[in-house]
Amino acid sequence: MKYVIPDKLPTTVVGSYPRFPEAKRALKLRRDKYSNKKIIEELIQSAIRRVVEDYLEAGIDIISDGEQRREDMAVFFAENIEGFKISGWVRIFDNVYYRKPIIAGRIKWTHEITVKDWKFASTLSRGRPVKATLTGPYTMYDWSYDEYYGDKKEAILDLASALRMEVEHLIATGAKYIQIDEPALSTHAEKEDVEIEKEALDIIFRGINAKRIVHICYGKLERLFPDILDFPVDQFDLEMKNSNFRLLSILKEYSYDKELGLGVIDVHNTRVESVDEITKDIMKGLEVVPPEKLYVKPDCGLKRLPRDVALAKLKNMVIAAKKVREEL
Amino acid sequence: MELYSGICGSYPRPPELRKAIDRYEKGDITKEELNSVYLKSLKIVIEIQERAGLNIISSGLLMWDDLLRPFAKELEGIKLNGLLRFFDNNFYYRVPVIVDKIRRKKPITLNEAQNLAKHTTRLKKLVLPGPFTFIQLSKNEYYSSVKSLADDILNILVDEIKDLVEFIDFLQIDEPSLVDSEIPIDNRREGINLVNDLISRTGIPKDKIIVATYFRLDEQSYQILLNVKAGLHIDIISTPREAFNALKEYGFKGDLISLGLVDSRNIKVENVEEMANKAYDILDRIHAKAVIFSTNTWLDYIPFENARSKVEVLGKLLHIMRGEG
Repeated sequence: MKYVIPDKLPTTVVGSYPRFPEAKRALKLRRDKYSNKKIIEELIQSAIRRVVEDYLEAGIDIISDGEQRREDMAVFFAENIEGFKISGWVRIFDNVYYRKPIIAGRIKWTHEITVKDWKFASTLSRGRPVKATLTGPYTMYDWSYDEYYGDKKEAILDLASALRMEVEHLIATGAKYIQIDEPALSTHAEKEDVEIEKEALDIIFRGINAKRIVHICYGKLERLFPDILDFPVDQFDLEMKNSNFRLLSILKEYSYDKELGLGVIDVHNTRVESVDEITKDIMKGLEVVPPEKLYVKPDCGLKRLPRDVALAKLKNMVIAAKKVREEL
Repeated sequence: MELYSGICGSYPRPPELRKAIDRYEKGDITKEELNSVYLKSLKIVIEIQERAGLNIISSGLLMWDDLLRPFAKELEGIKLNGLLRFFDNNFYYRVPVIVDKIRRKKPITLNEAQNLAKHTTRLKKLVLPGPFTFIQLSKNEYYSSVKSLADDILNILVDEIKDLVEFIDFLQIDEPSLVDSEIPIDNRREGINLVNDLISRTGIPKDKIIVATYFRLDEQSYQILLNVKAGLHIDIISTPREAFNALKEYGFKGDLISLGLVDSRNIKVENVEEMANKAYDILDRIHAKAVIFSTNTWLDYIPFENARSKVEVLGKLLHIMRGEG
C-alpha cells in the first residue's frame, strides 16, 4: 500500500509510546527469565499493533514502533550490544529507577536489535513509513558507567560503529528514516563533546540512503549552537514546547536551513494542547523554516504520559498541522 | 587539623524502601507501614556509614525525591510541575512552581533530624536546599521581585533550622547553582550574599555549617565561593583539572572544608592509596582547621549495592590520613 506523505508539515513522533499492558507483561516475563520466548514475542507484537493503531487513528504520517520492547532507551541497547553489563537500579526521578549499563569490555555489534520490531510495525502501517529510532552513542556512553575504555572518544566511536551496523541492517530491510536519539548531548555541550558527536554521526550516517535525523531534548540546547549545525544530518528533531520555543530565535540567528522537527507537544505535562494553541506554535516554526522543511511532532517520546492523553495530544497535533497546511 | 569523613547528602534507597514507596503510592500499604520500612532503612544506612568508620553520619535523605522536594511538597504556595534535568545528570527533579505566598505550616525535616539523632551517637549532619538554588530551580509566578521571594525563602529556612539545630552537629546547605557557569557571575555573587545572610541568621557557628556545591568547580566560581562565611564543600572529581587549578591558585584559609574526592557518580571503586596521595596534595595547598573527606555529590547516582564500597573508601581514607593505616 502506498501512502503519500504531505509535502508540507508532515506529522511524526519521536519514538516511544505509552507502554501497553502486553508490553509490561512481556518485560516482566523476560526479567523473570520466562522460558517460552514465543509468548513474549506475541505480547510485544500485540503491543506494537496497538501502538500503530493509535498512530493511524490520530493520523500521524511517519510513525514508530512505539519502543514497546525497550525497558528503557539505554538498557535495551546495552543488553543487545557486546561489551555491556547491567548494574543495579539507579534513580532517574521520584521513585523511578533504571538499570544503568556498565561498559565492561570492547563494544561490538553482534546481532540485529531493532529490525524485527521495525519490520513488524511496517507491515501494519498501511504504507506509512516507520521511523527507526536508535539511542545515540553519546547518550549510551553518558548514561553508562565506563569501566573499560576510560577514554570517552574511543568508546563513543566504537558505539557509533556498532550502531552503524544496525543502521545498515535497517536500511537493507527498507527503513527510510533513521533517527539517532541524543538527549544527553544537551547536558555537556563542551566543544570537544560536540566534535566527538559529529565524528560519531559521520560513522553512523556516511553514505546511507535514508533521512538522517538526530533528536536532542531538554537541558540547555542553545549552548550547542552554532557548533552542531554542521552535523552530517538532514534534520534536527528538537524539544521546543517545554522550553517555550526559545530555541527558535537562535535557529533564526544562524540562518538555520536543515529540516526541523518542531516539538509542539509537551510530553512532561498531561494537559492536552488545544488545536488553536498547536496551530499558533506551528506558525512560530514557520518563521524559521519553510513548510516543506517543517516536521510537526511532540517534544520527545510519549512513554511517560497516560495513553489516552498521548492519543488526544497526537490527534490535536494532526488536526492543527492539517489546518495550517490548508491555510498556506 | 581536625579530620572527618562523611558522605555528601543522600544515600541510595535500599530496595525494600523503593518497593514500599511504590506500594504506598498504589495504596497497598499504610503510611505507618511505609514509615516502619523507612526507619529500618535509615538504620541500615546509618550502620553502613558507622561500620565503614565515618565519623560524620548522614540521614541519607532517603525520602527525598529531589533536592527541593520536601519543601516543594510541604510549603504552602507551591505546586509541582513537570520534570527537568538536574544539572548534567540523567536525573530529573520536579520544578516547584510558586503560585502564592510561600508559608511553612510545620517543620519539614525535623523528624528526619530526630530519627538520625536517635540512631547514632556519632556526629550528625543534615542537608537543606540553599536559598539561591531554590530560586534558580523554581518557577516564580507569584512574587513581583526575586528579592521578596528570597526574603520569604530565607525566613522559612531560618525557622526550619531553628527547629532542628539541637539534633544535629553539622548543617549542610546545598547550593549547586552557585557553581553553575550558565548563571551570570554577578547573579551568583548575589547568591553568596543570600547564603551569608542565611548563615548569619541561623546562629550556627561557621565551622558547623557547610555550603555544598557540586557537579563542577572552576576558578571563577571558586573565587566567589571563598566569600562564603562558613565551611565549603567542593566537588574535585567532576571537573578535576579546573578544580585543582582553583585550589592551587586560591588555596583555602578557613575553618572547615569538605573535599568531594570520592566519585559518587561512578561505580568504579577508587584505590585508597591513590586517593590518599591526592588528599595529601590538596592538604598541602590549604589551611583549614577542619577537613571532611567526602563524596563529590549525593550517592543517588549509583545503585544501592555499589554505594557501600564508596563509603568504605571514605572510611579507609580517614584512617590513612589520620596516620592510623
